[in-house]
Amino acid sequence: MLLDLVQNTVDGLAVGAAYGLLALGFTLIFGVMRRLNIAFGPSIMIGIFAGAWLHAEWSVGMVPVFLAVLAGAVITAAYVERISFAAIRGDAALASMASSFAIWMQLEEAVARVFPGRTYGFPTFDGMPMIEIGPVLLRPEYLVMLVTAAALVAALQWGLAHTRFGLELRTLADRPEAARVSGVNVARVAFLTFLLAAAIGGIAGFLIAAADGQITPKIGLWATIKGLIAMVIGGLGSLRGALIGGLVLGVVEANAQWFLGAAGREMTTYALLFLALVLLPAGLAGRTEAGARAEAERRL
Amino acid sequence: MLEIRDIHTSYGKIAALKGVSLDIADGGLTCLLGPNGAGKTTLIWTIAGILKARAGSMKLDGEEIAGLRAPQIVGKGIVTVPENRLVFPEMTVRDNLIAGSFSRRKDKGGVARDLEEVLERFPRLRERANQDAGTLSGGEQQMLAVGRALMARPKILLMDEPSTGLAPIIVEEIFQIIGQLRDEGKTIFLVEQNAHMALDYADHFYLLEQGHVTFGGVPGEVDHDELIQRAYLGARKAS
Repeated sequence: MLLDLVQNTVDGLAVGAAYGLLALGFTLIFGVMRRLNIAFGPSIMIGIFAGAWLHAEWSVGMVPVFLAVLAGAVITAAYVERISFAAIRGDAALASMASSFAIWMQLEEAVARVFPGRTYGFPTFDGMPMIEIGPVLLRPEYLVMLVTAAALVAALQWGLAHTRFGLELRTLADRPEAARVSGVNVARVAFLTFLLAAAIGGIAGFLIAAADGQITPKIGLWATIKGLIAMVIGGLGSLRGALIGGLVLGVVEANAQWFLGAAGREMTTYALLFLALVLLPAGLAGRTEAGARAEAERRL
Repeated sequence: MLEIRDIHTSYGKIAALKGVSLDIADGGLTCLLGPNGAGKTTLIWTIAGILKARAGSMKLDGEEIAGLRAPQIVGKGIVTVPENRLVFPEMTVRDNLIAGSFSRRKDKGGVARDLEEVLERFPRLRERANQDAGTLSGGEQQMLAVGRALMARPKILLMDEPSTGLAPIIVEEIFQIIGQLRDEGKTIFLVEQNAHMALDYADHFYLLEQGHVTFGGVPGEVDHDELIQRAYLGARKAS
């Protein structure tokens, strides 16, 4: 029982790291634009299908597949940004959300036309040995997830603190009107942030697909939902919170799956979301309520 | 020299500026007075390129700049110190200042020198250089907003109500800073509620009422009390 708990927690942390990356993508876009891009998951799906197609047609290795996923996700995100965000006024958050929903449907329909089957194979990391830590087993693809997520977050933190683009991004997240008077090119920074988020999401999607070995067009819906839930649990607009939210979601899901079964896992996930909203409206990374209110006022 | 001619700006259907014309002369302090809702902040935001003028012209040293967007306006050297300071609360003082230098992409050495100069000018910002700007007092935030604007090497500084919400002693300090900048030859366009103080420092002033410039002149040549009464108490024709 205790060993199960430990094993589930290890597995959950790995999957949770990938959730954290999805949430990070959402958070970057939300933080900079104050708008939700619910076509985020479907953009990743396009990338994943591009990678799967490349693998099936040309039986290429993991590196080209990875690059195809990344390129597919980023190019699709650029399309979403132009149509649903750049073309719509910044204060019309709902219009952008509805528009990105429409794009989502469009992308899903397009994939369903081109790939009419239900599931498709995705290449996996073959030939890597299982890692044993005492009685606990760590799947090698999970180790890859954990290491990649940690490295990405570290790189992102560094970039935000030390690069010019990172500083511009932070000014926009912190106080958009002040960013404007300081001469920040808001449209350009928003666009690049969108692409950055898609790249992070693409990496997460690649890792998840490679761990599962198969994909369906529903992976877009799945990625949007997991990313959104992890972001809300962690607290809207906080990068650290997004990551913590992802890890918590992963660990809780893995244990619920083991002890309660698949239906129990779904119920536990939504119960967790509900609890997070009621008990910690500012999220686990918790800005104080006064801070959140001041922020809300600022945005009005 | 910035020549503003017949600028019209609206919010939707509501006209806020109904043909504003005024000159901001080089190397002096031009002050804009007027009651709340007269359109003072609207004018600042229109010059800054954040609001778009519906009609009219703005010429910087003869070059038309109406219609340029905010980053381009900053690039031309017209830099705003916004109302309520609008510092970046969750960024350090140093990062706030560096954010002011965004318009100077390729001038790393110059930015480093100017950062040092701003920290020299405002020793209290140096003390708090690694603190989040949100933890500063109102007066310190105002210094930071001025410092951030200076980081862009401005030709013209647009200052919107720098004394709002500050204690009188701090207001005094802020005006000393403004006076010092003017004495260094910087061109300043100041919008200010604190008319007595502003008129003491101004080389030229304009009065904005209901979206029109209704009066202008040199502070020494008018009775300040009478002018202020007209500007803020709405007496249409004082004596």
